[in-house]
Amino acid sequence: MPLSGRRSRLAWAITAGSALLFAALLTRQTGVHAQSPGQNQLTVYSPRTSYSVPLLEVNGQPYAGLVELLEPLGSVDARIDGKKYKLHFTPPGGRPLEVQFTGGKDKGKVRGNGYKLPANFILQNGRGYLPLSVTSDLVSKLLATDTEFHAAARRLFIGNIQLRYTLELHKDNPSRLLLGFSSPVNPSIATEPGRVRLTFRREPIVSTGPENVPYSDPLISGASFSEHDGLAELDVTGTAPMMANFADGGRTIIITGAPAAAPVTQEAPAPLPPAPANPQNPSPQPRQPAAPRFLVLIDPAHGGSDIGAAITPSLPEKDVVLALARRVQHELANRGIAAGLLRNSDVAITLDQRATWTNAARPALYIALHAANTGQGVHVFTAMLPAANLSPQGFLPWDTAQAAFLDLSGSVAGSVAAELESRKLPNATLLAPLRPMNNIAAPAIAVEIAPPAGNVDEIASAAYQEQVAQSIAAGVAAVRAKLPEVRP
Amino acid sequence: MTRRVLVMFAVLAAIAVGLGFYALHLKRKVARDEQLAAEQQRALAPLSNGPPTTVTLYIASDSDGTLRRTQVNVTLPPERTERDRAVLRALFEQYLPSSSPHPIGAGADVRDVYLLGDDTAVVDTNAAFADAHPSGVLAEELTVASIVVTLNANDSKIGRVKILVNGQERETLAGHADLRRFYEASNIGQVVKDMQ
Repeated sequence: MPLSGRRSRLAWAITAGSALLFAALLTRQTGVHAQSPGQNQLTVYSPRTSYSVPLLEVNGQPYAGLVELLEPLGSVDARIDGKKYKLHFTPPGGRPLEVQFTGGKDKGKVRGNGYKLPANFILQNGRGYLPLSVTSDLVSKLLATDTEFHAAARRLFIGNIQLRYTLELHKDNPSRLLLGFSSPVNPSIATEPGRVRLTFRREPIVSTGPENVPYSDPLISGASFSEHDGLAELDVTGTAPMMANFADGGRTIIITGAPAAAPVTQEAPAPLPPAPANPQNPSPQPRQPAAPRFLVLIDPAHGGSDIGAAITPSLPEKDVVLALARRVQHELANRGIAAGLLRNSDVAITLDQRATWTNAARPALYIALHAANTGQGVHVFTAMLPAANLSPQGFLPWDTAQAAFLDLSGSVAGSVAAELESRKLPNATLLAPLRPMNNIAAPAIAVEIAPPAGNVDEIASAAYQEQVAQSIAAGVAAVRAKLPEVRP
Repeated sequence: MTRRVLVMFAVLAAIAVGLGFYALHLKRKVARDEQLAAEQQRALAPLSNGPPTTVTLYIASDSDGTLRRTQVNVTLPPERTERDRAVLRALFEQYLPSSSPHPIGAGADVRDVYLLGDDTAVVDTNAAFADAHPSGVLAEELTVASIVVTLNANDSKIGRVKILVNGQERETLAGHADLRRFYEASNIGQVVKDMQ
């Protein structure tokens, strides 16, 4: 039956509209608009580590990345098959547990049992995200332990690790407020006239009683506790400038009045006399230099919009190396070696920033981690620089700072390669023109992992990464005596 | 809604689905054709006529991370920088097929080679060379090393090489290899020995 002109136009309009809609659906990866606000994060406190998980805002609801949430707590192997998201999580010393969700659906499976989400699971750029409100329950199910979630503050406590504090006011002259903690703490401290603010980012500090404690004291007028944006704050207010001092190995923080400022003199200070060889009269003790310490700084390459190599379409290099970095940190800690990560979340850092931050931290060793989908095995690199007769203690040229440390860097690389060899992992030691190695003023190596035997997916497997991490940590431990401890 | 309208809507929906799949098919076909064209484009016309000359190329291999010395016949122009460019284009020809042991970005080319004094070459590559280059420490190092030692092997006066992208200095090749520095052929030569 011939269609009338009006119907014909309607048909064409519907056809064109449907085609456009369909084409749009085919080419879009997700039907939601997602954005990543800068300060939006969940802080997770576990007996093993404390870490931050960046959050996505999807339709006004916060979502957490599943891999970012679980990776620091154990081994994670995530795969995407179409809209199906499958993740195997292996807790330390446990067996693999399966988590399964479908993009755009609110039903999934956790450990073989049905699991209902309060909102749809999101798949975006090869990552799986679940509503923030269920993170506590999911972690509790996977780790078989109690969790406590402070939703408004975005703080998740795993196990019974909450750190409580006590307040004790001593009405001396001047008054002192003693903040007692059961474990050492290291908050950042900000002072302003009549106020001292302690910010705890890594410590699982929780309130013990009333959040606001007023004092009838001439100096200290009150203390208050608050938590928000993944951190906790203790705010002490007073009537005069105050300062905070650490005592008892970081278990106590003493807040008291700041000393009055010295009168300003117009005369230039006289130069300090040289210290007498055998002083008869005691003189003021100079400040004790900080004790040397051995710190390894691990640099998981790339991050944020810089994904590095696309190992597979859904597996960027930045994720592989962050997981590896956490394993290396853990393995070093098992060998009694303190290690820090240059980034512990998916953030972008420029090459110059990496070098600047590393040099400011004065580590005993810098390890850059990379991953590639070409080649095979593990490559250990040192900087491609001509040897130079530079003193590590003097000023170093930015572009060739590493030249002063090439011998030590080579020793570490050789030791790591030997450990890889002992674990029968294919490896090679090479020089590389890799940034920012040349700018690092400390012994430095870079490690690039490629698939162990041609199977690209294996690069992210827990077993392979664990072997590489153990090799790196054992290699570092073997040459630790050669590497100088550094004063912070 | 009458049955006739429902049937018409179903037919139109089917047509829309078909059009969607056809659009997807076209999109993939265009991408395939572009890649093919880029590879074929590299069947470069020689820069000059004349008898072919034997040149030495250091060909990278990703599978074992080595550089292998090989010789090919290329028609070389008389002018020195044009000769250097022709040698590098011969090297790139080895890397452009997807079956190459060290594939680089489709459409990669050498725009020009400049000399600073007698011993320093500045190699100006096109954007495709860097933008589509596989990312990785070893993969990028192999490319840089093969360019430097190949130039040095065919023009022994060249001791230093700098690589530009589209006439501009670039921080890294594809996220790893430093492109801000001048590469000394003697240093790279040592690396190549380690790789062979």
